[in-house]
Amino acid sequence: MLGPGVAWYVAVAAVLFGIGSLGVLIRRNTLVVLLSLELMLNAGNLALIAFSRHFHNGAGQIFALAVMAIAASEVCVGLGLVVALNRRRLSLDVDRLSELRG
Amino acid sequence: MTGGSWLCLLAPLGGTIVITLLGTRISRVVAAWIATMSVFVGFGGAVWAFVVMQSRQPDSRSEITTAWTWLQSGSFKVGLELLVDPLSVVMMLIVSGVGGLIVLYSIGYMEGDDEERRYFAYISFFVFSMLLLVEGGNLLMLLIGWGLVGLSSYLLIGFWHDRPSAVQAAKKAFVMNAFGDATMALAFFILIAHTNSLSFATDFNAHLSSTAANFVALGLLGGAVAKSAQIPLQTWLPDAMEGPTPVSALIHAATMVTAGVYLIARTHPLFEQARTIELLAAGTGALTLLVAGLIALVQTDIKKVIAYSTMSQIGYMFLGAGVGAYSSGMFHLMTHAFFKALLFMTAGLIIHAVSDEQDIRKLRGLGKLMPFTKWCFLAGALALVGIPPFSGFFSKDPIISSAAALGTWYGWIFFVCGVAGALLTGLYTFRLWFLVFPGEPSPFVREHYHDHNGREGAWTMLVPVGILAVLATFAGWLQWTPHWDPFTKWLAPVAPTLPAAIPTNTQEYYTSAVAVIAGLTGIGIAWAVYSRRSLAIPAAPFWRKLFENKFYFDWLYDRIFYEPAVATANFLRRDFEDPVILQTGPDLGEATLETGGLVRRLQTGLLRTYVLFIAAGAAAVVLAFLIAR
Repeated sequence: MLGPGVAWYVAVAAVLFGIGSLGVLIRRNTLVVLLSLELMLNAGNLALIAFSRHFHNGAGQIFALAVMAIAASEVCVGLGLVVALNRRRLSLDVDRLSELRG
Repeated sequence: MTGGSWLCLLAPLGGTIVITLLGTRISRVVAAWIATMSVFVGFGGAVWAFVVMQSRQPDSRSEITTAWTWLQSGSFKVGLELLVDPLSVVMMLIVSGVGGLIVLYSIGYMEGDDEERRYFAYISFFVFSMLLLVEGGNLLMLLIGWGLVGLSSYLLIGFWHDRPSAVQAAKKAFVMNAFGDATMALAFFILIAHTNSLSFATDFNAHLSSTAANFVALGLLGGAVAKSAQIPLQTWLPDAMEGPTPVSALIHAATMVTAGVYLIARTHPLFEQARTIELLAAGTGALTLLVAGLIALVQTDIKKVIAYSTMSQIGYMFLGAGVGAYSSGMFHLMTHAFFKALLFMTAGLIIHAVSDEQDIRKLRGLGKLMPFTKWCFLAGALALVGIPPFSGFFSKDPIISSAAALGTWYGWIFFVCGVAGALLTGLYTFRLWFLVFPGEPSPFVREHYHDHNGREGAWTMLVPVGILAVLATFAGWLQWTPHWDPFTKWLAPVAPTLPAAIPTNTQEYYTSAVAVIAGLTGIGIAWAVYSRRSLAIPAAPFWRKLFENKFYFDWLYDRIFYEPAVATANFLRRDFEDPVILQTGPDLGEATLETGGLVRRLQTGLLRTYVLFIAAGAAAVVLAFLIAR
C-alpha cells in the first residue's frame, strides 16, 4: 500500500471537522457559516473514503457520493435563504437573526 | 299451543310500542283502549294455549318453543325460548286476565290525568314483562322478565313524578328489587359453573353438591323475597302505594309480588335439593304473615291496610310453597289475585268518589252512598278472611293443613302461625270494613262525596269490579282438596306436592274448622271493637308504637345502610373529592406552566448556542462510547 497510513487521513479529517465546527460556532456571517458547514461535511467524506480504502470496501465511496448530493442540496437551500434575507434587506449576521428566542 | 303463548307475550308489547310511537297523535281514550285490547288479546292467546293443552295427555303438556339462539359463548348457549306448561299457562291466564280487567278499570280511574298515554304504555309494558317472566323457557329469560318487571314497577310507582314521595317510593322499590335480582344472578352463575347451562331441564336434573345447592336455593330465595316483599326485604311494598290505585292492584296484589311464589314453584327441584332453604322460605312466609298482619291493625291509610294484607297473604303462599305444597300456594296465588285486586279496586272506587282521601278515620258510613262498592268489598273481605263459601277458604286452608301434615316441630309452628294469621286477617279486614262502610256517612264524606253521573264510578271501573267480585266468590270452588282437586292434578306434571306435605282428610277438616273459627273470632273482635264499641282497644303503648313504626325495619335500614352511606359520601366529598380530585387539575396546569417558564430560557434563538449543544451532545456520546469500550 502506498502513501501514509489511514491514521493520517483520519487526523486530517478531524482537523478539518474541528476547523469547520469552530467556524460555525464563532463566525457571524451567514455565508461563512455555510462554508464552514461544507467543510465539516467534507471532513466526514474524507474519513469515509479513507476507511473505504483501508478496508477495501466500496460502500464508503458510494456513501461519500450520497453525502455530496446532500451537501449540494443543503447549499441550495442555504444560499436560497441568504438570497431571500438579502432581498428583504435583512442583516446577514446570525446573532441578529434571533426571532425564535423563547 | 305455542302460537297462543307467543301471541299472549307479544300482544301487550305491541300495545306499548304502538302507544309510544303514535304519541300525541292519538287521543288518551284511544291509547287506553289500545292497551286494554292488547292485554285482552294476550288473554285470548293464553286461553288458546290452555284449551289446546287441555286436550293433550298430562305428560305431553310441556313444550319449549325457541325463536333463535340468543346468546352463545363457547358451549354455553341460551335460546330465546318460551315454555308452555300447566304452570306457566295458569300464570298466563291470571296475569293477562286480571291484568286486562285492571287496565280496563284504569280507563275510568285515570281519566283526566295529564299523562294518561304514558301510563297506558307503561302498564301494557308491565304486563308484557310479567308474561315474559312466567313464560320464559330458561332461567335467563326468567331473569330478564324478572328485571323488566322491576323496571316497569319502578316506572309505574313513580308515575306521578311530580310527587317527591312517589319518586322516593319508586327508587326504594327498585333498589330493593335490584338486591334480589343480584342474588338471583349469583345463583345462576353457580348453576352455570356446575352445569354449563341455564335450561330448566338440565339444571333441574343436575345433582349439585349440598353447598352449591344451598347457595343456589338461597340466591333464588333472595330474589323471591325481594320481589314478593317478604321479611327482611318487605319495606318497599307499603311505600309503593304512592302509585295509582290500579297499579297497586296490578303490581302489588295480582301479579308482580306473587312472582316469588311462582319462582319457588318453578324451580322447586332446586329447592328440594336444599330442603333447609326451602323450609327457610316457609319460615319467612310464616313470620311475614304475622308481622304484616300486626302492622295492618294500626294502619290508617285504606291502601296501606290492603298492602300489608297482601304481604301477609303472600306469606301464606310462601309457607305453602316452602313446605312443598306448590299447588296449594299457586291456588292461593290465583284466588288472591282475584280478591285482592277486587279489594284494591273497590278502594280505588272509594278514593275516586271522595276526592282522593285515603284516611279511614275520615271515611265513615260509605255503605249508604256506595252500595255496589260495599257488597263487592264485602265479598273480597270474606274471601280474604277465608269464610266459606268464598274463595279464600278453599285456597288458604290447604296451606295451613299442609303445615300440619309436616308434623315436625316446625310444621306445628307454621300451623300455629297460619291460624294466628287467619285471626289477624279477620281482625284487620273487618276493622277496615266496620270503619268505612256501616252507619251514617261522616260529615267529611257528605261534603266530599260525588258520584259519577248517578253511579258509583265509570262503567269501565264498575264492570271489572263486578267480574272480580264474582270470581272472588266462586273461583275457590274449582278445588276443595278433601273432595276434588283438579287444580292440583293440573299442576302435578310440573310441580307435584311433596308427599310429606299432603294432608289427610281429617287434618284438612280440623284445620278448616280451626282456621274458620279463628277468622270468625277476628271478625267478632273487630265488630265488638269498631262497630259495637263494647270492647276498648287495648292501650299497650309499646306494641302500638312497635306496629305503627312497622317493627322499626325502615329505621333499622336507615341506620345500617342509608346513614353510613351518606356519611361515607360526605366524608369522601369533603376529604377526597375536594382536596384530591378537584385540586389535581389546576395543580397539574400550574406545574406545567412553571416548567415551561424554566425550559423556555434554553430557547435563545441564537444559532451558535444550538450548535454548541449539538457539538457538546455529540462529544458526550463519543466519550460515552469510548469509555464504555
